[in-house]
Amino acid sequence: MSSKQLNMVQAINSTLDSFMSRDDSIILLGEDIGKDGGVFRVTEGLQAKYGTERVIDMPLVELGIVGMAIGMAVSGLRPVPEIQFQDFIFTAFDQLVNQAAKMRYRSGGSYTVPMVLRTPYGGGIKGGLYHSQSGEAYFAHTAGLTVISPSNPYDAKGLLSASMKSNDPIIFLEPKRLYRSIKSDVPDEDFEIPIGKASLVHEGDDITFVTYGSMVPLVVNTVSKNNLNADVIDLRTIMPYDGETILNSVKKTGKVIIVHEAPRTLGMGAEISAFISERAIDYLMGPILRVTGPDIPFPYRLEDYYMPNETRILKAVKKLQEYK
Amino acid sequence: MDEKEMFVNAYKTMVLARTLDRKIVTAQRQGRVGFYTPTMGQEALQVGLSMALEKDDLIYEYYRDVPFMLHRGVPLETLIDQIMGNSMDNEKGRQMPSHYSAKDYNFMSVQSPVATNLPLAVGAGYAIKYRKKKNIVVTTFGDGSTSTPDFHAAMNLAAVFDIPVVFLCENNKWAISLPVEKQTRVEIWKKAEAYGMKGVKVDGNDLFAMYEVSKAEVERTRTTGEPVLIEAVSYRMGPHSTSDDPSKYRTDTIKDGSDGDPIVIAEKKMKEKGYLTDADIEKIKNDAKELVDRKFEEREKVPPPKPETMFLDVYEKPTWIIEEEKEEIL
Repeated sequence: MSSKQLNMVQAINSTLDSFMSRDDSIILLGEDIGKDGGVFRVTEGLQAKYGTERVIDMPLVELGIVGMAIGMAVSGLRPVPEIQFQDFIFTAFDQLVNQAAKMRYRSGGSYTVPMVLRTPYGGGIKGGLYHSQSGEAYFAHTAGLTVISPSNPYDAKGLLSASMKSNDPIIFLEPKRLYRSIKSDVPDEDFEIPIGKASLVHEGDDITFVTYGSMVPLVVNTVSKNNLNADVIDLRTIMPYDGETILNSVKKTGKVIIVHEAPRTLGMGAEISAFISERAIDYLMGPILRVTGPDIPFPYRLEDYYMPNETRILKAVKKLQEYK
Repeated sequence: MDEKEMFVNAYKTMVLARTLDRKIVTAQRQGRVGFYTPTMGQEALQVGLSMALEKDDLIYEYYRDVPFMLHRGVPLETLIDQIMGNSMDNEKGRQMPSHYSAKDYNFMSVQSPVATNLPLAVGAGYAIKYRKKKNIVVTTFGDGSTSTPDFHAAMNLAAVFDIPVVFLCENNKWAISLPVEKQTRVEIWKKAEAYGMKGVKVDGNDLFAMYEVSKAEVERTRTTGEPVLIEAVSYRMGPHSTSDDPSKYRTDTIKDGSDGDPIVIAEKKMKEKGYLTDADIEKIKNDAKELVDRKFEEREKVPPPKPETMFLDVYEKPTWIIEEEKEEIL
């Protein structure tokens, strides 16, 4: 099996390239994705290879990008819209919530929206209020949408490949801070990581970390560096999340810390915490803790204080260690 | 079909739609139907456009397009089943009345938030162009929709990419309680120019005028691949919906059967042209009433959808979460 050391940008780019070369129903559309290759260069070279009809430089209108993609999907194409920053998606929110998410349901299954909406999300790149947000909970709260976030280049290829074959609309959240900061061995041949299945990226007995996307490397590094005897669950799919893997781990460890960079209140941590308390409260030896971004807009100069970090994770670990 | 036959068929559809409208409004008052958005007044413009279309054209319609649907062959049963939300409904009883889907007739699925169908129509048109097909897309909306960002986005995108979409603004002069004069400062058809698109205005209460304009514009869009905005000026003769009482905010200017009613106008012209006699007209109306009454009684007996169906079609396969919720509720 041949493979290459790729960063996430390269992994996504090569996956799109591979799918586009085999299936002419795949159309990319977004702002500056053609000649410019996207502001993060994720679509670099694809317009030169597949033409302006298949890699469309769109006028500056997010609801138009998403709305057109939905219409294409209903008409049998497989659009992959890009929203330049997840922060800019909100004018298209109506299209996502009321058109994409509900099309199959409201038409009694006669119309479907096979669409993979890619968008970079999250902070840590000095992006301030409008280039840093983590909006996964908005999408996860909408029946009909599937929400995915890869935490490394290998997963990015496997999850994107599975998404490209899905017949439902997918919100594919790319942690922009990890775009080029980590590399992994990515097989050249096709493979898929199933939607809805988490990955146990570190194993241990004392504590369960549940996290996803941009926070996975931080949690794994913290666990390794401090020799914590912990399970680390990378959800990979945020909605529908893998409840079984979470429960199996919690029943073993009895202690849970959920880590995400989105604000705490009504974030995914709230849902996962409620899920665990409904089904495994008898196994818990302490409170379910959350290490998350605070309930404030994302600050520019002080972003290091906003982002969950090793110190805050260890503080939560210490608190749980008091419960024996 | 010769011209006489074509117009007689169009007239029959208008009468059938009007008859259904009256029936459903009454049934709603009787508590037999939950809700309805009457089409009354917009029959001529919809049927006139429909006459100019081909079977494989795609329609991104809105919730007031019953005559359009009937004219393209959507069975009365399909519409009544949707209004009832029964187990035979294409949508499995999931949507409020007036939100139809009819894939077999290339009608899309209707949503409530206005104008959000317009960007989709442009995407569908893009797919047609990409696949080098010859069909076109039609999308319909009211005057209120022209204030939305979706209208702006769709018009701009259709023009920028040269997409074969006919934008039909059914200007019925009222968006619930807001008159069109307070909706926009310019005539709607003129907005097209700002997008680099052709715009035309037509008397939407005149079936013959509507057909003439539609035929020319549909033909033009089909051959050039360019979009067009047609403003069909009409009048919403009924309330916005059965939950609305227009006497609070307006005095009706055109009423069912009065001067200016598109059916009355059509009848006059049909008689002038020698296409129909008074006796023909009376028979068409009686036949329509008999058919609508019979179909309504028949469809009223169709049972509601089974409860477990409400958990289907959210995704291709229900998630474990939905499966669990189903277990808990049923």
